[in-house]
Order: sequence, then C-alpha cells, then structure tokens
Amino acid sequence: MKVPVTQPARSARFAAERLEQRIAIGRDGRVIARSGKVEYGQGIRTGFARIVADELSVPVETVDIVLGETDSVPWDMGTTGSMSTATDGRQLRAAAVQTRTLLLDRATTRLGTPSSDLTLKDGRVIAPDGRSLSYEDLVGDEPLTGDIPEIAEPGNLPVPAAEDRPLRLEARAILTGEAKYPADIRLPNMRFGHVLHPPRPGMKLIALQDAAAHAVPGVMAVVREGDFIGIVAEHEDALFHALHALVAEWAPNPVAPNAAYEAVMRQDEGVESALSGASLHLKAAYHAPHIAHASILPRAAVADVREDGADLYVATQRPFGLRDEVAALLGLSAGQIHVHPQMMSGQYGRGNTEDAAIEAVRLSRAAKRPVQVQWSRAEEFRLSPHRPVFDAEIEAGLDADGAVVGWRCAVRTNSYIVGSQALAPGVPEQTAGRDAEPPYRLGQAEISLRVEPGDVPTISFRSLGAAPNVFAVESFIDELAHAARQDPVAFRLALADDPRLWRVLEAVRTMSHWHTPREAGRGLGVACAIYHGTYIAEAAEVSVATDGAVRLESVWCAVDAGRLVHPDGARNQIEGGVQQAASWTLLEELKVKDDVVISSSWRDYPIATFLDAPRTIEVRFVGDPETASTGVGEPGSVPTAAAIANAVFAACGQRIRRLPIAAALLSSTHSGHDAGPEPAA
Amino acid sequence: MMAAPIRLNVNGATRLVEAAPGSSLLSLLRDDLGLTGAHYGCGHGACGACYVLIDRRAVPACVTSVEHAAGKEIVTVEGLAQGDVLHPVQQAFLEEDAMQCGACTSGMVIATVALLEHTPHPDEDEIRAALAPHLCRCGIYGRVIRAVKRAAR
Ligand code: FES
Ligand code: FES
Repeated sequence: MKVPVTQPARSARFAAERLEQRIAIGRDGRVIARSGKVEYGQGIRTGFARIVADELSVPVETVDIVLGETDSVPWDMGTTGSMSTATDGRQLRAAAVQTRTLLLDRATTRLGTPSSDLTLKDGRVIAPDGRSLSYEDLVGDEPLTGDIPEIAEPGNLPVPAAEDRPLRLEARAILTGEAKYPADIRLPNMRFGHVLHPPRPGMKLIALQDAAAHAVPGVMAVVREGDFIGIVAEHEDALFHALHALVAEWAPNPVAPNAAYEAVMRQDEGVESALSGASLHLKAAYHAPHIAHASILPRAAVADVREDGADLYVATQRPFGLRDEVAALLGLSAGQIHVHPQMMSGQYGRGNTEDAAIEAVRLSRAAKRPVQVQWSRAEEFRLSPHRPVFDAEIEAGLDADGAVVGWRCAVRTNSYIVGSQALAPGVPEQTAGRDAEPPYRLGQAEISLRVEPGDVPTISFRSLGAAPNVFAVESFIDELAHAARQDPVAFRLALADDPRLWRVLEAVRTMSHWHTPREAGRGLGVACAIYHGTYIAEAAEVSVATDGAVRLESVWCAVDAGRLVHPDGARNQIEGGVQQAASWTLLEELKVKDDVVISSSWRDYPIATFLDAPRTIEVRFVGDPETASTGVGEPGSVPTAAAIANAVFAACGQRIRRLPIAAALLSSTHSGHDAGPEPAA
Repeated sequence: MMAAPIRLNVNGATRLVEAAPGSSLLSLLRDDLGLTGAHYGCGHGACGACYVLIDRRAVPACVTSVEHAAGKEIVTVEGLAQGDVLHPVQQAFLEEDAMQCGACTSGMVIATVALLEHTPHPDEDEIRAALAPHLCRCGIYGRVIRAVKRAAR
C-alpha cells in the first residue's frame, strides 16, 4: 500500500467528488460511469451498471462502466476487502442521483413542467401530456457537472427480486473468446520477453555468460540491470532457447530480517483469574499452512515504454499503485503512465503485486518496443508471494452454565501487506488480525497478535487473516460447545448479542435440517463470522470413509449483506467463496523446502475439481433491504474451514486442528477417537 | 528451422501455417492465428484452460502438436457461435451465469460441447467426470453442472 504521489489519499466515503469524474451521457444516449475499482470475476462491473441503471431508469445494457483506466477514473486505493459495493457503489449511486436531478432541472426548463410531475423512463424524461426529451438531447453540448452531494443509503429504490435473471456484462465476450486477458494482448511490433529468475528471491548476480544467448537467432536484446537479467526475442521459441543458453552465477544476498510485530488487540483485566477460576477450562492449538492464490492463468503483462510515457496492459488490483511505481522506476510523472486493466484471472489478493508488469516495463524500456511477459505455471507457484502460515493457541474458561468467562488467544502469522506500511502501527491488527476477536461475549479476554517474517514471501489473500482466524476461533468454540454438552448452534446463539448474527445462525439451522440425524459416517458442522459488516453462517455436511477420506457433501449458507444490488451475482460470489475455501481446507498446502517453495505444478498442488465439488451449495440472503450494502466477495470463504472441520468431528470424532484436512486425517489414522482438547496445565 | 507449410482446418477455414516441428497447437492458435480464446494455464495438459475440439473431441491444445492437428477439423471457442447467435452450450452458460473471471470458461464450454455430442443426456456423475480436467479457482463448478444440464434439455 503506497501513498500515491499525485493525489492525496481520501476517504472514498466522504470525499466531495465532481460529477464529471463519475458519470457522463454520451451523444448516443449511452451512460458512461467510471470507477477506479477493477473486475476479476466478482461482478462489480455488472453491479455498478445496475446501480447506475436503476437510479437513471435506463436499461442496464446501455450503461458502460469504465474500470481502473488511470487516465479517466477517479483515484482509488485498490480493489480489496469486499469493499467495492459499499464504497464506490455508494459514490456511483450518489453520482447517478445527482445526474437524475440535473436532468430533471433541465427538462423542467425546457418542457415548462414542474419536476415533480416528470418521470424518467428508458433514457427519456416524460411529461404527463406525453411530451418527452431524451437524456442526450437534454445534455447536448453542455455536460452535467458539479459536486456530488452526499446521499442516504440505501436510497429508496425498489428491492431487486431475489430470483432476478443472471446477468454478467462480460459474459458474451468470455463465452465467445473475445475477452482479452493480458496474455491475449497483441500490439504492433510487440515482442516477447522473459526474465531469468534467481534460484531464490533476492539473490545477487555475480557472473553472467550471455554470448550463447545473444547468438540465438531471433534474440533482440539481453538486458542486464544489476541483478536483473532478461531476454527479448522475436518469438517464444527463441526466447526459451536463449534463456537456457544463459549461464548465471548467483550468490546469497543476506538481508537482515524484518523485526517481528507484536500487538495486543484486546486486554481485559483479570484474564488469568477468570481462566483459573472457571469450572471448565480448555486449550487447543491450530495451524494452517502456506497456500497459493493459484489463479488459473499465470501472470502476464504487456508494457509499451517510450521516452515520454508508457502504456501498461495488465491484470492488477491496484492500477494507481502500479502507475506510481512505474512512474518512479522510469523517472516519469504519474500522468505519463497509462494503466489499462484487462480481464483478470481470479486473483484474490495476488493482483496486489505486479511483478510481471514491472518485468515487462524494464524489458520494454531496454528493447524500445512493446514487450509481453508470460510467466509459466511453475513460476506462478514458485515466485509468487503466498498466504501467510498461521498458528493460534486459544484457551478459554466456562462457568457452570456454559458461559465464557475467560478467553486468551495468541495468533502467530506473517504479513499480508508488502511495502513500508506492512508493520505500521495498527496495520497488522486490521489485516492479519482481522476477525481474530470473535463476535461473542468472552468474559475477560486477551487477544494478541505476532506478525513475524516468513520463510517465503507472503501477501494479501482472500479475506486476509479472517479465514484462518475464524478457522481457529470457530473450531475452538465448537470444542467448547461439546465440552459443555451443548448444541453448537444453541451455544453460539447464547454467546452472541447481535440479532443479525442470530438471524443467520437460525437460518442455517433450518436450511441444513440441523436436528435431523445423519447416517453413520456423516456429520454436520456449523461456523459463523461477521466480516466487514456482512453476517454469514455456514453449515457443512461431510462424509468420512473408513479409510479416512473426507468428502464435502453439502453446504448451507445464510448471509446478511444488507441490501443486495445484484442478488444472483452475490449468490455466485458466496458459492465461489465457499467452494474455494473448501479446496484450501481439504486439499491445499504449498511444499516448502529450505525456505523455497518447491510446488511447481497442479500435480504438486492439487485444488478441488468437479469431482470434489459438493452436491449443493445453498445460499440464502436474509438481510434487511433497508440496511446499507456490504460486501460478498470474501465473506463466503471465511467460516468454511471451521464448518467443515466441525463436521468432520461430528462424523467421526476426530478433531481437526491442522489444515489441510486430507493430510490431517492421513497422519493420524491410528489415533482413534479424539479425547477432546488437551486440558490446560 | 521452419518446416514446410502445414494445412490446418480451423473453425471451418483452411489456414496455411509455418511451424517448427513439434510446436504446440496452442501457441500457433494464439500467436499466429490470433485466436486467444483458448488460454495458457499450465502447458502440461493439467488445467483444462486450453481445450479445443479436434475432430469433435475435446483435447488440450497445449500438448497437441501442430502436425497432429494437421488435416483434422479444429474448432476453438471462437468458432461455436453462428454470427450473433450463441451455441446452445454458450447460451446455457450465459443463462446460468456459469462463470466469474472466465479464465476456465472456454475450456469448459468446449468440453461440454464434446460431452453432449457423445452423451446427449448425461447424468451428474457423467458431467463431473467429463469436466474433471477443467480447474476453476473461482469455484464455479456447481453452476457449470447446472449449465450443462440446461444445455442438455
Ligand atoms: S494449458 Fe493446456 S491443460 Fe493447462
Ligand atoms: S471462473 Fe475464474 S477460474 Fe473459473
């Protein structure tokens, strides 16, 4: 997270913006709306188009959403944290409301009818007597301008029907192969480039023999800048021949490791005595390994660097951050760098570092022509930063009624943020520590966080620390419920004070037929979370075969994300979050040897396939349409691990405290049933 | 290094191409013919992002050599729609919104076209088996199963 060089950071929520930065009506009547957010399958283009279309009473197909083009959209920090609808969606709605107001003003003057008697429909303002004016006619040569006033959320629009038709503005392009990802960009004179990466990150180049590489027909440039070596060639065959012909000698480049960051996120008085005086006292430790973002398409980028500027065709979650980074690298001003976000293979945090784009920039500068860089699948696994490793130790005390009277939780993990702000005060708590504090009455509680340098580079990941934190916390809550001989749903309801949390828990209890006994070898587990204002509860049903194989059979999911902008799109996001998190939970672990990731293919790093997908992922939205919209991109993935782990316990009596579960069950086949968490000393 | 031109039949048109012996059909489609709907995901036949139809069977273009494809009927995702009218499989994916980022979509559409040609009314297990080579990170599997069932109606 870099501070932008050209514009001050601002709060997206409260900044006074200008209408002309956000919405314009074209001469053809199409509505152009702009946002600094980017699309990577989460459906924001469609969601934003729907917001604008609703407010302006035009068909959604007539709205063009411009996303992340740094020359024409308002500055934006980055597309993270499931915040796009809550922040930029709100800004676009405010801009659309203002557009509507200005159109009505102009129509009042032209038609001589008070604006309260005018209606807007399908891109026209209509008077009671049937006279009407089109929006483009009302705008003419005088664009709508001015400050955008604040609006009340969620406005007073009709609530979209839950069974609204699926819609994705990019769908046709995706289905016909016309959609362009960075690897699909073809510019005139474009050539192919590739970097020779050191065997481990950050090594120093001490010697290079490149004569043989120069001699490969089709090689245009061998670029060496310090420890950076790359090749630009006419075609990919030549590129890889030349790369293999390079002989490089690397030396370790020891850098002092970053200090660890320690924070106390909550410290009540008397935790120790609350724990020691409790009538029931439990303690357990949980672990989650490094996992990969594992985008289906490896990194690719195109850069066209000229003396006076550069164009970048990339998949990035932070176009303005990339713009500023490239401007600094090239010694140009930010306005000379034009970032053009392309279609993006699902990123989930990986798109916050643009390593391939920077490589393309350096190679393009040296080769003086557009260069495309395409990473291999092995590079994607080995060179990418990954999700931090996670360990938590939790202990708690219950009183005789099963209420929590004392809670102590210590989380140890790595940073989710790169750059100078990574360990700034408060940042680790909001990122690595996200959702470490459960939404329950905990009595006297102490929650501490330690963020330490990792063995491999780490970066943001879907939901940041929330998914591992909630895995630990909600697994432990389940252990407490069982120790207190209480039903896990009832136990949570009793500990929670928030009616919105009760509502999602009660909904999954009904949806999953929670109290209906399952056949032998099957079990149901529950978990819940509040993530950036979205309430979510999930129930998972698993079957455990006699050989220990775990299969996820069904997931039921109740979500309160306030008012929904695009219900089917929101459902798609929750389903996808559950499916992806089920894959992390059941299968995924990066292999690391001597501090280097050695997983390099889908064989070394299997993810869930069609064969693993559950029979059903049923999602029900139970939010109040009068409540402001909150995000749906990440919450689905947050409670899944605990719901599955708790279901495994219900199915076979085996507690899961290490992920992935496939590995956990295999390594403990002889341990038999679990006696419960270790009693605390 | 270049061999004699090879005659390829792609999306109903004959194309004369030059390719080094053993080069992959995927690179040829993407770099020389400008057909980028089949994606590079792994290069080892392990992810399903690059599938095309060769003589109406779904195969990974990344591990198919150009010589192997010569003289056969190659169809890519760009060749399925008739003008503005989507192929019924594309239409079914559209109606179920069976995609998010779309990186895996063209491969799944191709696999579904091949599946329904040989098994017009697959049951759910047949659908899962036929699509198992196609990985999706966005978690779209359930929707794709629904889309395949819709296309089979
Ligand atoms: S790119 Fe061909 S199967 Fe992965
Ligand atoms: S939709 Fe993104 S990989 Fe499948």
